[in-house]
Amino acid sequence: MSAPPSPSPRPLPMTVVGGFLGSGKTTLVSHWLREAGGQRIAVLVNDFGDLDIDAGLIAAVGSDVITLSNGCVCCQIGDDLAAALIAVLSAPAPFDAVVVEASGVSDPGRIAQYARADPALTPDGVIVLLDAATARRDAADPLLADTMLRQLGSADLLVVNKTDEVDAAEDARLDAWIAEAAPGVPTLRTTQARVPLAIISRLAPWDGGSVPHDAAPGPHRHDHAPAGDPRHGDVFESWSCRPARRFAVADLRDWFAGGLPGLLRLKGWVQAPDDGWIEVQFMGRRGTARPSSPPPGGEPAIVAIGIGGRLPRESLERAFEHS
Amino acid sequence: MAPPASRTTVFAARRIVTMNPRQPFATHVAVRDGRILGVGDLGSLAAYGPHDLDDRFADQVLMPGLVEGHCHLKEGGMWDMPYLGWFDRRDPDGTVWPGLRTMEAVVARVAEAAADLADADAPLICWGFDPIYFGGQRMTVEHLDRAGEARAVVIGHANGHLMNVNSAALRMAGITRDTDVEGVVKFPDGPKAGEPTGELQEPAAMFLIVRHVGDTGVLAPVTVAGVRSFARLACREGVTTATDLVNKLTDRDLAVLGEALADEGCAVRIAPAFQAFHGTHGAAAGAERVATLRGRSTDKLRLGLVKMMLDGSIQGFSARLRWPGYHNGAPNGIWVTAPAQYEADFETYHRAGLTIHTHTNGDEASVVAIDAIERVLARAPRPGHRHTLQHGQMIDAPLFRRMASLGLSANLFANHIWHWGDQHAEVTMGPDRAARLNACASALAHGVPLAIHSDAPVTPLSPLHVAWCAVNRVTPKGRVLGETERLTVEQALHAVTLGAAWTLGLDGEVGSIEPGKRADFCVLEEDPLAVDPMALKDVRVWGTVFGGAVHRASAA
Ligand SMILES: [Zn+2]
Repeated sequence: MSAPPSPSPRPLPMTVVGGFLGSGKTTLVSHWLREAGGQRIAVLVNDFGDLDIDAGLIAAVGSDVITLSNGCVCCQIGDDLAAALIAVLSAPAPFDAVVVEASGVSDPGRIAQYARADPALTPDGVIVLLDAATARRDAADPLLADTMLRQLGSADLLVVNKTDEVDAAEDARLDAWIAEAAPGVPTLRTTQARVPLAIISRLAPWDGGSVPHDAAPGPHRHDHAPAGDPRHGDVFESWSCRPARRFAVADLRDWFAGGLPGLLRLKGWVQAPDDGWIEVQFMGRRGTARPSSPPPGGEPAIVAIGIGGRLPRESLERAFEHS
Repeated sequence: MAPPASRTTVFAARRIVTMNPRQPFATHVAVRDGRILGVGDLGSLAAYGPHDLDDRFADQVLMPGLVEGHCHLKEGGMWDMPYLGWFDRRDPDGTVWPGLRTMEAVVARVAEAAADLADADAPLICWGFDPIYFGGQRMTVEHLDRAGEARAVVIGHANGHLMNVNSAALRMAGITRDTDVEGVVKFPDGPKAGEPTGELQEPAAMFLIVRHVGDTGVLAPVTVAGVRSFARLACREGVTTATDLVNKLTDRDLAVLGEALADEGCAVRIAPAFQAFHGTHGAAAGAERVATLRGRSTDKLRLGLVKMMLDGSIQGFSARLRWPGYHNGAPNGIWVTAPAQYEADFETYHRAGLTIHTHTNGDEASVVAIDAIERVLARAPRPGHRHTLQHGQMIDAPLFRRMASLGLSANLFANHIWHWGDQHAEVTMGPDRAARLNACASALAHGVPLAIHSDAPVTPLSPLHVAWCAVNRVTPKGRVLGETERLTVEQALHAVTLGAAWTLGLDGEVGSIEPGKRADFCVLEEDPLAVDPMALKDVRVWGTVFGGAVHRASAA
């Protein structure tokens, strides 16, 4: 039978990365593994074949597990996702997050259900990659069209990859098609599956400028200039503050439910009326607010990231700065 | 010094149905060194010199040992758990578990099994629950809590896609009214409105339970005891050659098979198929592994088959269907392997000289397989490949003609006609397409080598039952699904002997009673060609002869 639960374990954030074969899923998780920045990430992939990790970072290679010197591991799922997840959840040294690469034809939304179901996991977003050069052709294939639409429908964040491989005319057609096929799904554009980790991971800091530790609590806003290479993809901007007031979980959930177009990721901690803490997370089109232990710095802090020029600043200010 | 001369045994029988068209019937068969030396009558076999006459089968009928071309050794291990199905089913010891036709009967059997478990805390796991004839009544915690309150009770459904659990199991897994996930069914109204009913419908919902009780499904690894149980069941059903149609073939799996089959009492030849469900880069290593293992084949363990999978199941609405799709309007099913990856991986295994069995349930999946194989064969022709489509439940005449031109075989899931035929006519396919479900006669008419199967443990291991389905095509509600697709008894018996042996590349060795082949026989109390075709499934199996050694099915 199950062991008694250890004192309030933090649920493990789980990200699912979906998209057709060749859309850049493995490239994206390879970046993540290389740049984990001290976080212990368990990455479950379909196949080691496309992984792109320097030999110098590899500490040990088993038949189905690669251990990295930065504390991360990468496991081959084989045909049994449940077994792979159980192995991650029962690892002797706990992980900080788990990233699941869905197979090219599976619905990442169904995999994300595991994180919704299991109290030991918490969903941290479904990222679906599209190959800009082949997406419209695949979507026109009667064998694949419904599979692609299911993937798009499950996405919290759509990453259009390889945008350097299409010309402006195809780019415009692609835009129009995405607007029709995935209405309301936040979309960003990139090459080589490069997406700021701070957007796809709740744990990764925004190096375009995180909240400074020496800042005193209070309405204290930092705006940051767009970061990124505008030639080959979107540029991003951030907004941050140290909310002084106290929040009710229900109000934050209502705020998320109202929709926040332009916001890609929001993360941080605010104080509850009873001196407790609330962890706030938003990714793509879903937000959560849940009671938590005190934050690492012991201070309230909120960081929001969006595509340059499209962050819903007014809404953020109203929610977090006004008392 | 010359080795001592082998002895010859002549078995006498009431009748021998040989499946050899040049000599369809006989009364005596001479056996030496585990092989068939001669077939005929006592006079003609005198040509082979002195022999021991064994006339214990004087009142029985001998057939070639039956061949099950699509089953899973897991059938043996399922019987560690109580069976709850709607259909009667016989266990490896010969006990018939009567089908449970009401919810009350199910609850009573679960309660009995719970009372029998010595360990008060151990979870009780049952299998085969099949409520499709319960008039829409759903099982809930209210039923299962009556069967047992203290221990966790977990009920797997026959279709493999659902689970029911009791309140103790919900507590164990932490499933509450707050569990907000697809597949955790809640009471819509009444005193328990909003509470989970205990029915879990999706892999994610079932995961919460699997985490605590382990995976008990078809893909769970087999054990030595499980293989022995399977062999006992095989003997009871007259089966002497069987597949294990998905096996990872790890060193551990091979050790389990090796240890179990070393036992002479384990009277079955096993042809496991390598589970080629892997990522995008696994095929080359997989092909090398199987090609190497092929050299380690023995009399009883035949390596070299590969299993691939394209879609899901029709009754689970995950099979890929062509227009007009599911009769009830359910969205099309899923690809388990992307069509492009299927083609690439198929080519890798094909070029390695291996025989590939592809799971295609829906007709769109069958088309994808046939298209891919056609292109692969154009690039890399290979005589005698014996590639086979497995299940192929919706393949129609034009597709069979294409299969014939490509040299593909079909192993059709004839047992579905009985087990899910009414659902197919009413819900999944509608009457027209249900009439060509597992179109056995069309396959033969268009020249496709045909086998038929049980997919045990999905349906019971019993080739005579499968043959009965293909011959009669009746459903529990009394429908006849596609009269013109019925096989004759002779054709059906061919499909469960030489037909299945062909798909495994073993037709030169087993599948008929003729000189040179292995002395593997199925011993029957009645003559399957003489009984009413509606009684074919009731023909009693006495046991088997395996490599010349007699194995009587243990008494119930
Ligand atoms: Zn099967």
